[in-house]
Formats: sequence, C-alpha cells, structure tokens
Amino acid sequence: MANRPLHMTLNGQSVGPVEVPDDLPMIDYLHEYRNLTGSRLGCGQGICHACVVIVDNPDGTSEEVRTCITGAHYFEGKKVRTIEGHASRDESGKVTELNPIQQRFVDEFAFQCSYCAPGFVNAATVLVEKLQRQPISKSQLEAVIEDSLGHHICRCTGYVRYYSATRNVLTDLGLVKEG
Amino acid sequence: MKRILSSLGTAVGLAVSLMAIQQARAADQQQIKRGEYLARATDCMACHTAPGGAPYAGGLPIVSPFGTIYGTNITPDKDHGIGLYSDDEFFAALTEGKRRDGANLYPAMPYTSYHLMPREDSDAIHAYLETVAPINRAAPVTRLSFPFNVRPGLMGWNMLYGKDVKLTPAEGKSEDWKRGQYLVDVLGHCGECHTPRGLPGAMQQDKRMTGGLLNGYLAPSLLANDLAARGWTHQDLSSFLKHGMSAQGTMFNEMFPVFHNSTQNLNEPDLASMATFLLGDSPPQARVLSEVPLDKMTESARRGRQDYLNVCAGCHGVNGEGKPHIAVAMQGNTTLRLDDPRNLLRVIEDGIGEQKFAGFERMQPMPGFADKLSNQQMTDLISYLRQAWGGQPADLLIGQIEQLKADAPVEHKAH
Repeated sequence: MANRPLHMTLNGQSVGPVEVPDDLPMIDYLHEYRNLTGSRLGCGQGICHACVVIVDNPDGTSEEVRTCITGAHYFEGKKVRTIEGHASRDESGKVTELNPIQQRFVDEFAFQCSYCAPGFVNAATVLVEKLQRQPISKSQLEAVIEDSLGHHICRCTGYVRYYSATRNVLTDLGLVKEG
Repeated sequence: MKRILSSLGTAVGLAVSLMAIQQARAADQQQIKRGEYLARATDCMACHTAPGGAPYAGGLPIVSPFGTIYGTNITPDKDHGIGLYSDDEFFAALTEGKRRDGANLYPAMPYTSYHLMPREDSDAIHAYLETVAPINRAAPVTRLSFPFNVRPGLMGWNMLYGKDVKLTPAEGKSEDWKRGQYLVDVLGHCGECHTPRGLPGAMQQDKRMTGGLLNGYLAPSLLANDLAARGWTHQDLSSFLKHGMSAQGTMFNEMFPVFHNSTQNLNEPDLASMATFLLGDSPPQARVLSEVPLDKMTESARRGRQDYLNVCAGCHGVNGEGKPHIAVAMQGNTTLRLDDPRNLLRVIEDGIGEQKFAGFERMQPMPGFADKLSNQQMTDLISYLRQAWGGQPADLLIGQIEQLKADAPVEHKAH
C-alpha cells in the first residue's frame, strides 16, 4: 500500500489533491475523508447498488458508478455527485429545496428504512437527466424505468412505490411524450 | 388330469413370458439410463436446446465462419424431431453425419468425433432420446451462404475429414487412460473446440488439442505440458470438471454450458479418467509461481497495478486473493498464465454473467469494462495481471491489444 494524490470535483466543489492510499475503496474515501456518509455500504459486492454515485462525463452524459467495488483513484479528475449534492442549500449549508426526485420519493413514501434510497435517488436522477436530453414516448416508459432502476435492491420491497414515484415525476416534468 | 396338466403348462408358460417381459423391460430401463448418462457425456443438450427452451427441441444458434447453424430438434416428435429414426438411421446420423433423408448434416454436428462410438452406445443414446418429451415444433432452418449451403458438397469434405479424429495408440496405458480417451476424444468431443481449424473448417489434426478459436475466445491447449504450465494437477482438473471451479478459476464462456449440461453430471471415476487421459498416466509437475514484487515489474505493469486497484481489487482482492462466492482469485488463475492474452482481454471487456455452480455455489456477475478502460489502460492492466500472477514477464504492446480488438467478432466490436 502506498499513498498517492487524489483530486476530483465532488458535488460541484474541487476537492484535493489529498494523499490517499492507492487501494482505498471510494466509499471509504467518501465516508472517512469527506464525511459524506449518505452513500450506503450494503452488499460490498457491487450487487445492491446502495453505494452508487453519479459521474458526469465530459460529453454531457452521466452514469452510476458503484463505490463499494471501485477504488477512489478511479475517480481522479472526474466530476462526482453523491446523494448529499442534489438538494439546494442556503449559505449556511441548510437544505432549502430537495431535487424533484427526492421530493417525490418523500411525498409518495417511496422508501421505508431508506437504506437503499440514496442509490435509487441517484439512479432516478441519472434517468431524469437522460430524458431531459432525449424524452421518450409513453409506451417506452415502463421498460426505461425497469432498465434504470431494476438493478437496485430494496429489502423493504418498496419497488412499487419507487417505480410509481419515478413514473409520476418523469411525467410531471414533461419528459414522456404521448405514444 | 390332462386338463390340469395343460392348465399348469399354460400357467408356467405365462409366468415365463411375464418374466421375460420384465427382464426385457429391466434391460430397456438399464439401456435408457445408460443412454441418458451417455447423452450427458456427449453433451447433446448444449447444441440441441435453446436458452430457456424445451430439452433437446433445438433452436440454439451456433455461429460459424460459414453462417449461423441452428441445433435441430432431436426429441422423438415424428414431424419435427427424430421420432421416425430407426437405430440404424440414428447411428448413421451420429457417426457419419447422415440425415434420415440421406442429406449431409453440417459438421457442427461432431460426427467427426462420434464416428468412433460403438453401436451399443449409439443405441443407448437413441433409446434415451425416445423417452424425452416430444416437442412438435420445428427448429429454425439453417441457411448458410453459397457454396456452404450445398449439402451434397459436404460429400467431399466428409471423405477428406469426416473420420479424421483417430484414437491415439493405447499400448502401455492404464485402463483409466483408455476410458478417459473415449470420454475426451469421442463422447466429450473436446478436440472439436480445443483444436485449431484450417480453411475448410476442418480440425488441423497435426495440431490436435493445441487450442482453437471460438467466437473470439481461445479454447486453450489441453496438452499435458501446457495444462501443467497453467497450474493443473490431476485432482484439480477432475474437480474442475465436477464443480466448475477450482483454485485455477471457474468455467466461463463456452465451457460454462459444457460444465452445466455435461461434465458436472458425470461420475467421479469418469472425470478422474478424463484428467488421467489429458495429463497422462505420469502427469508433469504443475508449475507453481511465486509472487512477483512490484519493483520487479515493467513500467506498464506498475501503471496497470493502479488500474487493477481501481476497478478489479474490490472483488478480486488487493493481493489477488479473490473472494469466496463472489470473484475468483487471480493468484493461481489459469487464464492469466496463457501466452495468448486474448481471453483476459475478452473477459475484462465483456464481463461474465452471474453463474450457478454445483449445489448452492454461485459467483457474482463481473461487469464488462470495454467502455471504461482506454487501450493503454487495458494494455497496462493485462501486463500487470500477467506479470503479477501469470508467470508472463514480458510487456504487452498496445498494438497487440488493438489488433485483438480489431479481430474480435462483431458482437464484441459492438462494445
């Protein structure tokens, strides 16, 4: 094990360079170095997706990346968003407004214990942004939601309300065309 | 008195007939059971069952350089299956590649290996297949491009190559070795994939078992010295065939269905015989590799170490130790030891789906990294894996990786 400098953009802020062990998993970096504990360590095997963060690519697309099986240094120079980065905050850091997905999940009681919620929020956020670039037709909606959220595991069996809330927010945002 | 004696005679006659029928039925049952085992050993299921489809009802697309060939329906259905085949006709199909109507089968059917099968084994397989559920559905029709679609044209091919697989003389070999040879060379038809093929699609018998290419992956050499160099012992090899995993890794790609449908169903003495045949009665010593420290590696491999820590170590372990039920160890992994880096590249690009093994053993899916790693990163990573745990000290060149990517079949290039 050796340290090496790590720099990234985290929730819009430039972070680092900071010396970090070369084999440190990203989730440990978030928890232990940045005190961002919202990304959840679930299975630790890349299956449950409770730990995903969003990486914004230079081409304007975004993707989920599992932090439990990905090293912190994979994110060197990348733009990363975590669950803590979605809501609007005032100057003191207090949350003033949730993002549309978060608000809808709260309004519709989409989660129970909430352990998987950060992963679902990130997945649904990636989906919203994808459809903002390219809306879909109503006939595609169910398949697209399944494709985007289907790999996330919820042990409280909250899938129905997660899917329903996502369906509603996509429709309300005008991202689903008739047809 | 006469009447009594006559009645007695009839009763005895009936009893004898009943016994004869029962014995015949028992013999039939024995033959069917034997046929089922042989059908596992020949792995008929692999090509004659589509994913999620009825057993032996055909439909599996087999991609070949000449076009896509579909596995046929070999259930006892009289319209679309082999319900009208006699034992003679079944034997001709199995060993000569002759269909019931006299047409030539394409040599995707490994009659080139099965031609060494004795008649009684063919009859037993036929007897078993007659007991499976008949499926009244035609498998998709194979349509190859000209001239490969001209089935009579196969006559010449068959004359040249149809019986090309020959048994190695067995003088001085153990009974296990002989049994293993039958299981490996004939029933298991392992050489059909593990032998390189020449231009007319025929196995190059002078290079038998030295490794062949299959849909972009290498079916590696099964020669004893090569197996030993890749770390195989007799015990590990037979256990690998039974359980689909061992210290050397897990079955993947085209070998996974072979394990699933065939080898895991074979009894342990037979699997041990296969290992005996492959490694020989006096197996060469399996090569043991010692750990290579980072400062003994090339610059490319040292760069690749960080890529390994970034995207591999989460499952395969920081020191390549693997995680039980999740991901195989890199230490001792047989794929890393192959001279040809092709399989390593393909696996890293494609990933591996979740796999079920014997009992409750499972391995988690491995994601593919085709769009996550640049060619330089892929080159560095593979160099690291090979130098750290593969006993391959030389650097790969980025050009080799680019060439392998360019050579990939269409489905790989889609990445």
